[in-house]
Amino acid sequence: MSSQPVPSAENAVLRDKIRGYAAEHRKEGRTQAKDSLRLGLGQIKDEFAAQDNLSEKDVHGLASRIKRRKHATSEDLFRLALAFLQGIENINAFAAIPGALQVLIKELTGSDIQKQIDSAECLCNLSLGEGHVAEKISSLAGSYMVTYLDGKEGRLKRSCLWTLANILATSEKAAQQLLQMQLVPKLWKLYAGEGASAGFQEDAGICLHLISTHAAHHVSGEDREYIAYHLFSMRPEDPGSEYLMYIIHQLEIVELHHGLETQQAECLVNFFVASLGSQAESLPVSYGVRVVANLMAFNNPALIGVLADDNIFVPALNKLFALRDPRLNMDLMRMLRNYLNLNLLDSNLVLDRLQVYA
Amino acid sequence: MELDAARSIFLSREDLIKILGDVPVGFIKRSDPPQPRRPTFKKMGVLVEIQDIVEAKEPQKAFKNRTNDQSYSCAECRKILPTAHLLDLHITEQHDFYFAASVDRGDKPMFSCFLEECSEKFQSPRKRKDHCIVVHKFPANYRFDQGKDKPKEKRHPKKQLSHSMDVDDDAGSSDTKDLPNVKAFTFGHHTLRTFNSKKDRKSGDTLEDIQSMKDAINDILD
Repeated sequence: MSSQPVPSAENAVLRDKIRGYAAEHRKEGRTQAKDSLRLGLGQIKDEFAAQDNLSEKDVHGLASRIKRRKHATSEDLFRLALAFLQGIENINAFAAIPGALQVLIKELTGSDIQKQIDSAECLCNLSLGEGHVAEKISSLAGSYMVTYLDGKEGRLKRSCLWTLANILATSEKAAQQLLQMQLVPKLWKLYAGEGASAGFQEDAGICLHLISTHAAHHVSGEDREYIAYHLFSMRPEDPGSEYLMYIIHQLEIVELHHGLETQQAECLVNFFVASLGSQAESLPVSYGVRVVANLMAFNNPALIGVLADDNIFVPALNKLFALRDPRLNMDLMRMLRNYLNLNLLDSNLVLDRLQVYA
Repeated sequence: MELDAARSIFLSREDLIKILGDVPVGFIKRSDPPQPRRPTFKKMGVLVEIQDIVEAKEPQKAFKNRTNDQSYSCAECRKILPTAHLLDLHITEQHDFYFAASVDRGDKPMFSCFLEECSEKFQSPRKRKDHCIVVHKFPANYRFDQGKDKPKEKRHPKKQLSHSMDVDDDAGSSDTKDLPNVKAFTFGHHTLRTFNSKKDRKSGDTLEDIQSMKDAINDILD
């Protein structure tokens, strides 16, 4: 007879929960460890007083040295990266030296992967500069950074994403240039494509939200179509998922000429329903309402998936009205108007069950 | 009582109908007020760890493995490329005889754009380069350009080939007289498992043959 206890279903559930918790904890730890390496401009002077203080003169010296040798060592790149973090004057000094940036690009595109990473991190700090610096980086190094988004080296890819985010937040002209390099499809692949990996979803999502905010009118019709055709299901707990509805709404993906396929629309509706537990101020809710309202405006019940069922739609709407956010309520009324316009059932039946605070 | 209290808190059907009467139907545009909160972003740099610089100075053995793992290398010429698409282009354009033959035939564009997402194809590397510069704002000296080395490679071997054949003809007359006609040892299967490239060297003869065949066919048809 076997003396081993038979694992019960309860034990299995508990084990799963513990495993899930441990995995989440590890992920959180990793994120914190990664984030701790990131600093704003000048922050290093306040928080790391022990670091070398590098002046414009040092930057000139380093730039002349790398130009003379036509290559930069890892130590040169480290010192330059540190100098850029310390102040805008160091960035401007470097950007004003003709030919210095080309040496960084040479290292970025060389065969030594470590140097590629070092130069990408150096460029990331350089991108903390103003518009003219961002434009210079995008025109000279943008194509390589966009290319590396398809590469295998994770750290290089992440550094490129960070640099691209800084550029997109700084200059519309630079953003427009990057968009011509097919940045949107590449970012979308990392964010929500079939091969999206958790490591890059957040950073790719940040880049896409910056494009949606600062350069939405430069996004081409083909790029919008690409997003529409490559919409895959996303869960609210996925990294970077808070930007999904914002990106979809700002880039007007739903309102495209051909509209969305039922399957893609369903992904959006399911994501919206799953994120209903969030706060009114949260991006998935406030922009999700607008996206779903626009799906309803097509007058095609097939596009609104589970929300076509009033037993799901009415409680969802009541939950959102219960948040008592006047800004959200106006969009909810638009959504309700579009829903009633679908003529799925008697509108009085819906209105009688609604709980809208006076 | 409770039901009445609840009703007084919530808007009645009539109130809702009145409000909805003022609400427009259709899409909510991104500029429509009231604008919800936008996500915030703060520009951030990265603090490079000195440990990474130390690791970079250490012997290159570990690095070599890393290079192989983290990039795409051509099995034929060991060239390292950063993406699968660029490696694909390299293999096709540099090592594929069928591709070279198709390019020579020139009936359809064969050179794909450097960007995987761009579906355009071009007749020559030059046209592709122009497209990348004009449309995708690539730099003129894009470093992963496959096309720029090709003409050099193609021209030189051909020149060398023609010279070597000339030399062979000159010297061969004396050498071959002295040496016996020895075939290469193969020990089993022949190593060359591709289309016979020797035909290229005698391209003039082949063309003549085709011409003569065409003439013959025309004669028959007449």
